[in-house]
Amino acid sequence: MKVLITGATSELGRAIAGELATDRVLRLTDVVDGADLGEHEYIRADLRDAEAAASVVTGVDAVIHTCETPEAFEEEGSTREELLLDMATRGAHVFMSAAVEAGVRRVVCASTLEMFEAYPDDVYISELWKPLPSPGMGSFSKYLGEHTVREFARDYAITATSLRLGRLVREEDVTDEPADLMWVDIRDAAHAFRAALGRDASDDLRFGARWDVLHICADVPNAKYLIGEARKRIGYAPTRSFSANR
Amino acid sequence: MKKVLVLGACGNIGPFITPGLTGDYDLTLSDIVPHPDGTPTIDVDVTDYEQVRDAARGMDAIINLTVVRPDPVLSFRVNVRGALNTMKAAAELGIRKVLHTGPEQIRGARYDHEFDLDCPPHMPTTRYYFLTKHLSNEVCRSYAREHDITTVCFLFNLLGARPTEPIVGRDFPPYLIVWEDLVHACKLGLEVESLPENYQDFNLHSHLGQGKFSIDKARRMLGYEPLSPVEELYRRPTT
Repeated sequence: MKVLITGATSELGRAIAGELATDRVLRLTDVVDGADLGEHEYIRADLRDAEAAASVVTGVDAVIHTCETPEAFEEEGSTREELLLDMATRGAHVFMSAAVEAGVRRVVCASTLEMFEAYPDDVYISELWKPLPSPGMGSFSKYLGEHTVREFARDYAITATSLRLGRLVREEDVTDEPADLMWVDIRDAAHAFRAALGRDASDDLRFGARWDVLHICADVPNAKYLIGEARKRIGYAPTRSFSANR
Repeated sequence: MKKVLVLGACGNIGPFITPGLTGDYDLTLSDIVPHPDGTPTIDVDVTDYEQVRDAARGMDAIINLTVVRPDPVLSFRVNVRGALNTMKAAAELGIRKVLHTGPEQIRGARYDHEFDLDCPPHMPTTRYYFLTKHLSNEVCRSYAREHDITTVCFLFNLLGARPTEPIVGRDFPPYLIVWEDLVHACKLGLEVESLPENYQDFNLHSHLGQGKFSIDKARRMLGYEPLSPVEELYRRPTT
């Protein structure tokens, strides 16, 4: 299976590439230079450009859309907020249009659990809860990107999975910090993308089968963000439980 | 008298409803094109945050009527970024009321089903107009909740003048609203004190005959009722 990873220069993109490098053929893409990404095929492209988007999706079997925009990427006339909004919405639309046109059948996109942060800590949050996203564009853009990808799963015969990720950290980097209910080790998150690639419902007539949303967080005692559905539906099995922080 | 900024005042809706609001509100009309009947306006490009913020300064409310439908770039810029700029300006300036609009199709194509729900889920599809308007609603919803901005979103489909003579041989399209009813709804929206979660979208139309396109939520929360019985003009002769 040849897999395209967008936002490949981001920490998340690099972690996913590291997870998949051993047994998948990878194509990486981002809007900035990716010379340090190793031996994988790399295409520098702005996915809001239809021609560029078509070039990166040609010949791939699956795409992982990280919805990451490098801090170093700037656009004349746009604020960072406007850029994130445009990349997440119009960019996702152009990119997904190219992907379905090229015959890509599996899509995994990154979203965020931060859309549930407004809820108090004395509740259990599953995929059945109503998102309450704040307008801060760092996380809100991922929420809007998730909605954009979702509509492609409604209109086309593709399997699309949104992974709502907790806050990405490395377990060993936060041993001295107070525990955060939303933490997930970035390596476990990367593993979730591998697991989600195995989901195949493209031939299912039901939109509700082609599209799925899963919560990806650490497996900690008395968790606020429940990961049972991800365990059950894609076999998500996080291994870093932040025991030093308890 | 409340001061209200109207964005997109010279398009397909503004010129038909703003005359009905001028007696009750101090309107500032804005757009990037001239008003069709020469009414004075100010130039405001909704995709430019500073222009929106500067125009909104001192206002009590904003009505956002801007829209671009099929364009792959401008639909995102005007509908999504425009909504962001509108809500962001309201948040920055302490404006506590925004009226937003969109097509009923973001709820799904034409409601060709037998159900009667206040608020069925959005199913905008990938079409530029419907998807971008859906995303704009999400922007409004988020800002409304976070910044305590009472935000009313009207969902309709077609707009037009109230028929004046009996219509023979055709039905009234679902979600068509006549100008008088939209003016009425805007006044109710501008006056409503509060809404659950500060944001609600409302089915809005002028014809109740079909029986399955509920306006009960607009009735319940805003007190909306079509002003005149349009369906009386759509009677099939039986003698």
